[in-house]
Amino acid sequence: MHGFEIAESIQQVSEEVLRVEEGSLYPALQRMLIKGWITGEWGKTEEKRRARYYRLTAEGRRHLAEELARYDRVAKAIARILQPA
Amino acid sequence: MGIRELGRKLAYWFQRDRFAQELREEMRLHVDLRARKLASHGLPGEAAHFAARRQFGNAASYQDASSVLWGWTAWERLLQDLRQGVRMLRKSPGFAAIAIFTLALGLGINTAVFSLVNGVMLRSLPYPDPDRLVSIYERVTKTAPDEFSSSGAKIGGAVDAGRTTVSVANLGDYRRSRAFAGLAAYDSDPMNLTGTGDPERLSGEAVDYSYFSVLGVAPELGRAFLPEDQRPGAARVVIVSHNFWQRRLGGDTGVLARALMLDGQPYQVIGVLPRNFRSPFQLTAPDDMAFFVAPPYPVEMLTRRGDHDVNVVARLNAGFTSRTAQAELDVISARLQEQYPNTNEDIRAVAVPLSDDLVRNVRTSLLALLGASGLIVLITCVNVANLLLVRAVARRHESSVRLALGASRFRMVRQFLAESLLLAAAGCAAGLLLGRLLMEILLRTAPANIPRIQDLAMDWRVFAAATAVATLTGLIFGVAPAWQASQAKPVESLKTTARTAGGNWQARWRAVLTVAEVALSLVLIVGAGLLLKSFVTLMGVDLGFQPDRVLAMNVNLPDAHYRMASTRLQFFQQLESRVRTLPGVQSAAYANRMPLRGGWGGSIYVDTAPDQDSDVDLQAVSPGYFETLGIPLMRGRLLTDQDHTGQPRVAVVNQAFVRQYLSGVDPVGHQIRHDVKAPWVTVVGVVNDIRRGGKDKEISAQVYFPAEQTELYPVKLADFAFRTAGNPRQLVKAVQGQIWALDKDQPITNVRTMDEIITVRAADRRFQTLLLLIFAGVAVGLAVVGIFAVLSYAVNQRMSELGIRVALGAAPFRILRLVLRQAGLLIAAGVAFGLLGAYALTQYLSSLLFQVQPHDWRTYAAAVALLSLVSVVAASIPARRGAKVDPIVALRYE
Repeated sequence: MHGFEIAESIQQVSEEVLRVEEGSLYPALQRMLIKGWITGEWGKTEEKRRARYYRLTAEGRRHLAEELARYDRVAKAIARILQPA
Repeated sequence: MGIRELGRKLAYWFQRDRFAQELREEMRLHVDLRARKLASHGLPGEAAHFAARRQFGNAASYQDASSVLWGWTAWERLLQDLRQGVRMLRKSPGFAAIAIFTLALGLGINTAVFSLVNGVMLRSLPYPDPDRLVSIYERVTKTAPDEFSSSGAKIGGAVDAGRTTVSVANLGDYRRSRAFAGLAAYDSDPMNLTGTGDPERLSGEAVDYSYFSVLGVAPELGRAFLPEDQRPGAARVVIVSHNFWQRRLGGDTGVLARALMLDGQPYQVIGVLPRNFRSPFQLTAPDDMAFFVAPPYPVEMLTRRGDHDVNVVARLNAGFTSRTAQAELDVISARLQEQYPNTNEDIRAVAVPLSDDLVRNVRTSLLALLGASGLIVLITCVNVANLLLVRAVARRHESSVRLALGASRFRMVRQFLAESLLLAAAGCAAGLLLGRLLMEILLRTAPANIPRIQDLAMDWRVFAAATAVATLTGLIFGVAPAWQASQAKPVESLKTTARTAGGNWQARWRAVLTVAEVALSLVLIVGAGLLLKSFVTLMGVDLGFQPDRVLAMNVNLPDAHYRMASTRLQFFQQLESRVRTLPGVQSAAYANRMPLRGGWGGSIYVDTAPDQDSDVDLQAVSPGYFETLGIPLMRGRLLTDQDHTGQPRVAVVNQAFVRQYLSGVDPVGHQIRHDVKAPWVTVVGVVNDIRRGGKDKEISAQVYFPAEQTELYPVKLADFAFRTAGNPRQLVKAVQGQIWALDKDQPITNVRTMDEIITVRAADRRFQTLLLLIFAGVAVGLAVVGIFAVLSYAVNQRMSELGIRVALGAAPFRILRLVLRQAGLLIAAGVAFGLLGAYALTQYLSSLLFQVQPHDWRTYAAAVALLSLVSVVAASIPARRGAKVDPIVALRYE
């Protein structure tokens, strides 16, 4: 996916709850590029415009799994705390 | 940070433009796609694009945030600062050129002087474990010692009074101390080489067999001396220098089978020294020591503790320092004093590190030069700081704009410091080049007796020191303007014009810098003035004889061919009569030593106090001696050809002798003798006092014996001199021919006119005086430029004020006075601080001065007068400009 598609998909999936300035996506992508979690390759959109398509790397996948697991733990903990006893 | 992450970051650094371009393209695509999507939802084209941009946010700031992530920002800013600095400097090439030139001058001088100090004092000696080598000498603790040893070699320098060479008999006792791994005596022992091409007088040393092992040096060919080589009756052996081996023996590897004829005796060559070997003597003089011999000591040397004949170098055992070795020597000296009160009562052995001992005569002088060059660097700093400060004010507008646009104060300071460091770096590079050039000049003009000056080089220490000093100066002169710039208050300074800005704080800073500059320059001028006065005083000293058109040479007749004193005498008599007949020669003379060329001293008993042993200068001379040297007769008669063997014994004394031993009586007719058992000698005349040792030496009591009536010569007849009508140099060949006609194997050395000797003797002082004068000149030049710049600036700033004053009727001379008063205050303050500094610092020069006190008020007054005059002249140029200001022009200047 290229940057715009990523932004669109976040909006759609979150059902428009997460509405931040769309440009903030790009520094985040750069940070992930530096860390080596994603790679970017240039390709063409349907309208024949140059776009960078990002893909998770193996390392990125591993990191994602770790982060998801951590998030899961935290979310569960929060859920338990909020759950009326 | 992983290695791959670093790799990605590096890849980014090298293609950062492409990366930025790609990111920009990506963001543009995003906005375009969003706009299209919004348009498809019904928004009109323009509005859709606008909405898309708003939704996206500030693309430029996201771009910046992204590039910060890659971690190169600090580095990039530094480069930006430097690039900006280069741009700024290129925009004002005049300022940059002046600043860089000033810095190069200061750093260049500093680099050259530091190279000298480094090469002479800091570089370690060319021996293994040089820190463990000590020099040992003996000190006469009570009476002033005779300046000359019995072999005629001059001992020690004026720096260390009472210093004398070591008695070989005492050496045996010192050797037993556990402080020393080895002790070796060495002494200069020149000999005549014959039988191999032209006869030549060779420099060489007589040493103990252990000499090379103490120094830690092995011959590159053959072997070192063995204990048996020094035993009485051993075969004569010699070790030669690499240079001599190449020069006279053709680098022949079969040299070990050969023998050399030295002073008419065959010596078997047993070794050749490495090319880079330097004996301790050679570290202080550039001569080639051609050979080393290890002769057995004569019995009398081994037993007579009163004769101090040899230099000693020793290697300390592990665990000993020169200090603990000294403690050991003190114990031994005390014991010897008890055991041999006649000879050792006043003798104390002294051990000092060899490296310190070698530089003892030049240390003060070099440190003074280093101090002076340090002052120059300081003045340079002050000057450049001043320039930068003026510039910082001119750039106040720029600073304000940058601050207003959001530059942090820290960033401003950094920008200004970057510029200063750029200047420092450029100045440093130019300074190293200039320093290199100055060092070449130093090498050519420096007197040859500065230790190891012949192999001086710029090494890493010099570069490190230059870089350190340059960085430091960059920071010192950069800090004030940088801070100044960061203090800019945008609103205020944008309202005012660049020219009127500045303020009190600024003016105070520049005043302080100018005062400092004047003060530092005054210190240098006073120092140079003191040295100059010493030099002039010294040159004005009357030697007591006429040195012009006199040439002296050394004709060392070898013992082997001239065993008897009478055969030597005969040689010189023949030579004298032959030379006298040469056209152009006015007179000729021989003596054991001519003035300025060493001498001979000893006991004398005068008939007025027959038991009183007095120490005087002795000289055995030919009758023509006084005429040749131009020593006037004051009373009685001179020596004549009739005063020969068999005739009544006579002598001539000088006025100092009369003053000391025969004052109040008619000296002519009194009798003297050099030994209580020797026959009496009648004083027949009194001659003028001469300074035999040189202009900076005291006059001592002197006795001249006719060479024909003197059997006892501790210093053999060896010096020959002649006075000519024209240039004596032109007759050297002819005189040489006469000598070789008498003895074809006889070398001639030390051929010098008296004037040449005087010039060489004064070379040290000339060198240091000249350098300090140059330094002072540079300092004054910089100070003048500084004062001129500050006042020009001040006048410019006050232009409208001055214009109003003129318009209101102020006379031009009042304006002149106004500006000059400002300058006068600065100069006066500088002079006051300078006097304090000079008073505190010149005492370190006292050992370099000759008959001038370090606090000589005349020199101080002259220095103050000179500096004030020059400064006022420098100040009057801008002041006159201020006085001539046209009010209309000045008021329009805004």
